[in-house]
Amino acid sequence: MTGRTRQTDYVQPIELDPNGTVVVVPEERTNGAVTAGTSLAAETPDPVPAPRRWAVRLLVGSAAALFALVVGYDTVDLVRRAFETSVMLGGGAVALAGGAVLGGFGLLAGELRSLRRLRRIDGLREDAEHLRTAGGHGEAERYAGAVASLYGDRRDLAEQVATLKDNLNDAHDDREVVRMVDLQLLQDIDRRAYQLVLRASRDTAIATALSPAALLDVMIVLWRNLKLVREVATLYGARPGYVGGLKLLRRMLANIAVAGVAEGGNDMVVEALGSTLAASLSSRVGQGVINGLLTARVGLTAMHLCRPLAYDETNRPSLKRIRRELLSVPKQVL
Amino acid sequence: MPASPFRDLTNLGGRALDRVGELTDRMLDGNLRIGVTGLRRSGKTVLTTALIDNLLHADRLPFLDVVATGRFIAARMEPQPDQAVPRFDFESQMERLTAPDPRWPNNTKVTSQARVALRYMPGTLLRRRLRGASRLTLDIVDYPGEWLLDLPLLDRTYAEWSRETLELSRRPPRDRLAAEWLAYLSNRDPAGPAEEAVARRAAELYTTYLLACRASDQLLSLIQPGRFVEPGELVGAPVLAFCPLLEPPARAGRHTLWAMMEERFEAYKTNVVRRFFSEHFARLDRQIVLVDVLGALNAGPAALADMRTSLSATLESFSHGRSSWLDRLLGGRIDRVLFAATKADHIPSNQHANLRRLLDGLVEERRNAIRFEGARVETMAIAALKCTETVMAEHQGRQLACVRGIPLGRTEPTVLYPGEIPDDHRLLDQDGARRLNFLNFRPPALTARQGRGLPNIRLDQALEFLIGDFLT
Repeated sequence: MTGRTRQTDYVQPIELDPNGTVVVVPEERTNGAVTAGTSLAAETPDPVPAPRRWAVRLLVGSAAALFALVVGYDTVDLVRRAFETSVMLGGGAVALAGGAVLGGFGLLAGELRSLRRLRRIDGLREDAEHLRTAGGHGEAERYAGAVASLYGDRRDLAEQVATLKDNLNDAHDDREVVRMVDLQLLQDIDRRAYQLVLRASRDTAIATALSPAALLDVMIVLWRNLKLVREVATLYGARPGYVGGLKLLRRMLANIAVAGVAEGGNDMVVEALGSTLAASLSSRVGQGVINGLLTARVGLTAMHLCRPLAYDETNRPSLKRIRRELLSVPKQVL
Repeated sequence: MPASPFRDLTNLGGRALDRVGELTDRMLDGNLRIGVTGLRRSGKTVLTTALIDNLLHADRLPFLDVVATGRFIAARMEPQPDQAVPRFDFESQMERLTAPDPRWPNNTKVTSQARVALRYMPGTLLRRRLRGASRLTLDIVDYPGEWLLDLPLLDRTYAEWSRETLELSRRPPRDRLAAEWLAYLSNRDPAGPAEEAVARRAAELYTTYLLACRASDQLLSLIQPGRFVEPGELVGAPVLAFCPLLEPPARAGRHTLWAMMEERFEAYKTNVVRRFFSEHFARLDRQIVLVDVLGALNAGPAALADMRTSLSATLESFSHGRSSWLDRLLGGRIDRVLFAATKADHIPSNQHANLRRLLDGLVEERRNAIRFEGARVETMAIAALKCTETVMAEHQGRQLACVRGIPLGRTEPTVLYPGEIPDDHRLLDQDGARRLNFLNFRPPALTARQGRGLPNIRLDQALEFLIGDFLT
């Protein structure tokens, strides 16, 4: 940096006329079109490279196209026949078909939007990572603006967004800005998300412990997990649709598998110990605790994936408190 | 001549009694003594004022954990423990800084002390259950920066000091200023009889020389002894009537000029320097060293070298190291030291990183030594009172990061591109080409109106480093 300044484009210290010069205020880009969002798959590489299942794709794709063709063909046929019977009936059929198509498009648009929101958050997270490692100056205003606009229309976060904007000034470098966003805005959301996760895992644990049939457990766990993922994602501003939710859940399952290994022996041992202890009390209750832990894992992973800024070592949400809470479930149930 | 051993003993006894009182204080509540060390004009008074004001309002400290997590309750100023030391006049300093026509503080002439008590909720559940809202008191001392340079005298003999000082005064840029004094000295025989008039005259000329050093635009920091230029309560005392002399070839007898000067030098060390040190610096817990890097850069390489020597020599006197709880109780060691490049608002904020690195390089030796002792060290670029803002301006088709503010002595804001500071002091130009130009800016008008503490740069991070671990 210094070498460059000293040689080629050195500018003599100069006092500029405050009226004559164009003072460029760093624009705050509010529409968070940050870097072109790279696709999710590229960012989180699958732990195991999946075999190319082109045959499956061909099968599913062709079947879907065939299905669409059949439905379309049948609809057209139906409309034609309706018109033959009476114009009124035909008009009604056309209107219904139009409504269905419109609704379908609406749904599709909504899903696409939600996917884009997810991708935007991914982009933000990548940006933040980049800013944190580069440690430059003046680049992070855009990032902070984008995050602030992500939560700008949330009434429950209005105060935090205001404090954030208030506390940031021109003296902060990129790392500080990112830290400030973390401190002033995201940690508040983190706390609430953690509460959601805590509640959901307790719910699943107790429901599993009390439910009479195994099939019911599965339903409860699935439903509660999906709900939790959507809740957490909404809290972080992702508001995923159905497809988005499923996509998140899928990514999450892949992540959980990895996270379980990565989190180290400590957790595993404690979990295993805790669960065997609980299981020896009652196998039902033990299952409840395990299901609760699974839900907690899902929830925490959702927090990781929906946050516009990756956790660092210091503020990573931990299973510890949830585990303690869950281990008190047997007491509550018995 | 050494002071009487009995005096030392009684001193020791008195101090031990004081210590017992303090011990109970420390046992009951957290108490930290923060040493604000800095050469003259490094901004100690402004920093102290800004620290107190920001703690009282706690509204501009986003990176101070206790504030960020909402555990901070309130702070207030309290009467300081030492009855004999004047209270830091926080109110009138604030008034000066926040008036419609704000001014920087004058030279500090005497020591003063401030105590701020903070009340906060502990972060851990256990401690919250155990003691509820906790309390931490901070003691901060403000003093003339000139006096700090007396500390290196403590481990020098009169002969050593004379030699060093004379040598320094014969080198440019000081030789011009010292000419009269040196001429007077060359006509006097240090081995001659001790005449009070001669001693007085020599000390007078020496003081004039020191004052000239202080007033020169070269920003010379190595001015010893500090009391000559900022006597405090010692105006005209005989202990100040000495100066360095040429060492006589043979050992000087008892009633020679040399012997008299030596005696006074030793008295100065014992009665003035050691007392100052033991009263204010011996029991520090944390230290913030303010360095006016920009001022020295502005004044040129000589000033920078001068500042480096002064700083290094000064910091040797403090005892650093990791302190256990027992050490802390006895007030033994400084376990965290923050080197802060002050007045960071005088350069555009994209150069703060360079400023920090530059300071890092300047204090490298001392920093490593302190780290070796076991204390934690950090460097930062800070501004106790932010007077400018960074703007981008276009100049000849290029975008330059500039600072906008009102320079001292003017009324209209200006946009200044001060040049780009290097990240290493070895890259500074020796040839005197002015590649850097910093203006001094006025404090922003009416900052108190917002009622939320003085605007600052990284004061919160400085505080977090200095006292954050006591606020958990």
